[in-house]
Amino acid sequence: MRTCGRGRVNSLARSVVDASVRLFSLSALHVNILIPTIMLPDEILDTLQSEFPCRESQIQQLTAFYSEHHLPSPPLLVAHGLTATGKSSIIKSLLELSSLPHAVIRCRECITGRHLLERIVASCLDALDTFGDERIDRKRFARTENLSSLAVNLQRLLEGRNKFVLVLDGIDKQREAPPTMMAALGRFREVIPNLSIILISNLPLTQALYTPSTPHIHFAPYPRSSLLTILAAKPPKIFLTPPSTEKFPDYTPDLAAEDDAWLWGRFTSAVYDSLSKHTGRDLVNFRIAALKLWRPFVEPVEAGTFGTRDFSRLMVNRRHLFQGEEGVLDRIIASESTLTNPTGTVPPTPKRNLRTLAHDLPYYATHLLIAAYLASYNPSRTDVTYFMKHTDKRKNKRRVHTSSGTGAMKSKHRKISRHLLTPSPFPLDRLLAIFRALLDDAGVPQSADLYTQVATLTSMRLLVKAGGAGSADPLDTGAKWRVNFGWEYARGLGRTVGLEVGEYLVGGVD
Amino acid sequence: MEHEKCYIYAPPESNSEERPSKRVRTSKLQSQPQLTERLSTYREVWAQQEERIQQTLENADSVTQENIVKFVAASTTSEGEPQASIPTGLIVAGPSIASHGLFFSRLGQNIRSETDSAYAVLTSGECPNLKTLLKCLVKKITSLKDDGDEHDDLINSGFSARNGPKLLDFDLGHVQMWQDKNETQSIVVAIQDSEAFDTAVLVELVDTVHSWLDRLPFILLFGIATSAENFEDRMSGKSLRYLDGQKFDVTQSDVIIEKLFSVTVANADARLRIGPTLSHRLLDRQKDHVQNVQDFVDGLKYAHMSHFYASYPSIFLRKGSTYTDLPSEAFEAVRNLPSFRRWIETLLQDGNASEVRTLLQSDQSLHEEIAKHIKLGQTALTSLSQAAILFHNIRESLQISPPFRLSTIWTRAAAGDLSGSPLYRETMLSLKKASSDKLKQLLISMERLNMEGSSIDWAKFNQNLLKLVQNSDGSGPLRSQDDVRNDSVRTTVIAQKVLLSKHKAALSEQDKAYSELVAQLHDEIDRYMTSAFIDPQAMFLSEIFMYDLKSPHVEVFQPKPRFAIERALATPHDYLGCSCCDRNRTEEEGVLAATQPATAILYQLFLESGTLINASDLWSAFEAIVEEGSEESDPKTSALIQRALAELRYLGLVKPSRKKTDHIAKIMWKGL
Repeated sequence: MRTCGRGRVNSLARSVVDASVRLFSLSALHVNILIPTIMLPDEILDTLQSEFPCRESQIQQLTAFYSEHHLPSPPLLVAHGLTATGKSSIIKSLLELSSLPHAVIRCRECITGRHLLERIVASCLDALDTFGDERIDRKRFARTENLSSLAVNLQRLLEGRNKFVLVLDGIDKQREAPPTMMAALGRFREVIPNLSIILISNLPLTQALYTPSTPHIHFAPYPRSSLLTILAAKPPKIFLTPPSTEKFPDYTPDLAAEDDAWLWGRFTSAVYDSLSKHTGRDLVNFRIAALKLWRPFVEPVEAGTFGTRDFSRLMVNRRHLFQGEEGVLDRIIASESTLTNPTGTVPPTPKRNLRTLAHDLPYYATHLLIAAYLASYNPSRTDVTYFMKHTDKRKNKRRVHTSSGTGAMKSKHRKISRHLLTPSPFPLDRLLAIFRALLDDAGVPQSADLYTQVATLTSMRLLVKAGGAGSADPLDTGAKWRVNFGWEYARGLGRTVGLEVGEYLVGGVD
Repeated sequence: MEHEKCYIYAPPESNSEERPSKRVRTSKLQSQPQLTERLSTYREVWAQQEERIQQTLENADSVTQENIVKFVAASTTSEGEPQASIPTGLIVAGPSIASHGLFFSRLGQNIRSETDSAYAVLTSGECPNLKTLLKCLVKKITSLKDDGDEHDDLINSGFSARNGPKLLDFDLGHVQMWQDKNETQSIVVAIQDSEAFDTAVLVELVDTVHSWLDRLPFILLFGIATSAENFEDRMSGKSLRYLDGQKFDVTQSDVIIEKLFSVTVANADARLRIGPTLSHRLLDRQKDHVQNVQDFVDGLKYAHMSHFYASYPSIFLRKGSTYTDLPSEAFEAVRNLPSFRRWIETLLQDGNASEVRTLLQSDQSLHEEIAKHIKLGQTALTSLSQAAILFHNIRESLQISPPFRLSTIWTRAAAGDLSGSPLYRETMLSLKKASSDKLKQLLISMERLNMEGSSIDWAKFNQNLLKLVQNSDGSGPLRSQDDVRNDSVRTTVIAQKVLLSKHKAALSEQDKAYSELVAQLHDEIDRYMTSAFIDPQAMFLSEIFMYDLKSPHVEVFQPKPRFAIERALATPHDYLGCSCCDRNRTEEEGVLAATQPATAILYQLFLESGTLINASDLWSAFEAIVEEGSEESDPKTSALIQRALAELRYLGLVKPSRKKTDHIAKIMWKGL
């Protein structure tokens, strides 16, 4: 027994009894001992509307289709819309409220197409067990290898039963989906009359279904006004610990709630206009950004510098929150330091050394990486000029620089700086040759340690094997390698060992 | 070149009757006398060391581990409301990826013992794609805590198989069933080497885990070798939104190595010590090539093993071995030691001929001497270690830059070149110049060290200093007479010449007293250090209590495979040792002779050529060498060169090239 709506039993006792009576008269199969809590369509509509504001038309359409047990539902319905537009949650709550037998399958949990099929049958069995009273003999449904056996299984399962709703959430993101799955789902109703499928996807599935006149319900992205309305429903508190009652005897919880709502409303519209409009307009991103910025925003109010209604002064004081991008960047580790800037001025760009190692690499490993970078970004014909001994590096460098950069070439082809291109592959011997050239003293023995380091760097994904997946043999001499880091990292590496990588790079940098 | 697809290979005729007849060994040669005794001694000595190592390793990252366990425990407490994001720990474990496994297994033990969580480690090797990853995860988690319930499980699985759809083996539904039964607070999934995972797999894992988060309390831990930023850059924005966590830094491996060194090699009581050359090599390798704690430990262990295995006199390190236990061969072995000879020579120079005679003739008196000297040597080394620790402590408390590590100081001391070195003089001078506040710190830390070997009474010095400081009325600390701040330079101009003269400022009474105290301390420390910093190599029996052979270590831990192949091909005589191509005889460098193996000849020709090699030129050059003088070409030469070329290709030195017809491309260069 699903526990949905059980809390409403008392208030809706009358209607429940009515509905169940109606149910009994309609379907002899549902001989329920427990009185199911079934709501009337209008009540479902009201509940959903209050729970999910700004989705009136979609909720109306869906309730029309799915709230009544005895009225037919469309065999297939596609609910589409971008992320965070309320598709799944609305459909799920609707089905739970209407207490139709249903099963919801999240396709992103299914690893293969077969997995999805097995999941469908298993969830349908579970759902029927929950909604019906008798246990279904599961022996006959032990295997669902392909779409046709799914059709057969569902047919057997739903034979002689009432309407059943199957929801496939995120069907367009299904991994390793069978190519005919969509088309098959579209035609299931032809063999299973009492099955009604809802597909939830990001894009309309008109192309994939091959079934004309499939009803689509579009969940449009929330516009600005709707977003603000939804967020205004639950304003967070300004004061985490309410101010002491002795000091402020007038400041009642009601007043505090009013202040919260007032300031939160102003604040969210400011966040939307300055940040979320350009970075992430969907509800989830907007809510995350707003909540992230809320605490630093109300910090002066909490400290007592400003009153709760000094919105304009607060804005000026905390303007750095809306100027920086910290609030909308996705980070695993929440960096509080830049948000809670007490000075109120624009903080200097955080000196985040982007790609430095937290731990130092060994001396020769660092040189190997630098050599690999140079091997990737220098054409091999210039190696003689850069790494031959007994030559003046600077003189050669200038020559190469001018010949490649200027002249008629420039007007014809737009030159892209080398370090912005993808690294080119190189053989291992070239790496080792450059490595030895970088270390002027020839004191590095030809020991296996160097190869160990290459292997370690490979498993750290700093060096990558460039050849196809077929050449898995690590001892293959023809194998080519590539670096997997950028210019800044290479420069940082060079500086840790006192080597300016830019001096060896063809064409210079910047 | 390959004009025949196949041909019958005729092996060169072997003259079987010329094979020398086998000889049977008549006397039983015991190549390794008393091996079992030495083995047991080794085990005893190493067990001590290993215990110390384990303790150090466990303590080394206990703080980080505690933090992670706390994080896991804190993440589990928020129950009730659905979590929006997966609690994630980013463990920056450093580039020593070999030690990550140990770290994560220890972490698992801690997490399991201190929180009510399931813990599973995933490595990149077992998870090439999402399906196998989930399979592995399911297997690892459901096999936990099943000791008593195994029976139930079997029944359950059989039940579901017979009656209805079975869950596929990568379905996290298994974990949910397990979770329903066990009700753990959290399921910790540790990704040991996140770099080696395919990014797509990680992204999908995060997606799947997040999808299950409302039913299964997952916590993810990522082991990172490079940096947390690097990890974040790899993940997509969506996955980052699903994750929310903290960063944990693991202790750098060089710090751990330093600690290990001080407890094993520089420890006050170690029966066998690793000599300066070898320890220098071990440490350098850690700095330059690999950062790997386990490798360091292995190096130490191998040194211990090879000492007891290869050196027979090491039997004398055995505790409680009496004269009767030892055969005369042991004493004969000691008499062959270089340090024994040196000792005998010094004795002879002193005119103790009779003593020398008894030592050479009587095993019993030699045994007594050996016992005495081993004890002496070990005490000397102990005091050397203590002096090194003291020296390091002085530098650290006085904050003398550049900072030297204890390992560096110890290796220099053990090599016998610390006393009298600039480093030593500099340190002692800084000690003389130290002001009272710095000296106070030094004395306090010395007292804490609580050295047994030194005769210096730190407490007394400390008391005297306290008295002086209390009596002083000035605001600043007391300064000794050698402090530069007490010097002033006076300039006098006489007859258009500038004279600079140094001048000592007048010292106050307290400063004078303080100077005396410092001078006294300096002298005592100096005396102690000079007595402790001896050259252990020069001592009698240093071969027994100190192991300092480099080559076994290098051969095992730092082999040179490519160099060996190149050398074998370039100068085959080094390996074959045959008389025909002896270099000394021909007196010419790199001479090519027909007697050399064909592959070696071809390799040397290969070395002389450029990137693209003409095969026919190669053949004619080869022919000219092999068939010296003879006119017509021998069919055997063709076979030889084909085999040689095939071998070069097999070694990866050449490959067929499409750039030019009849050419092969050189793909390896000597000496890289």
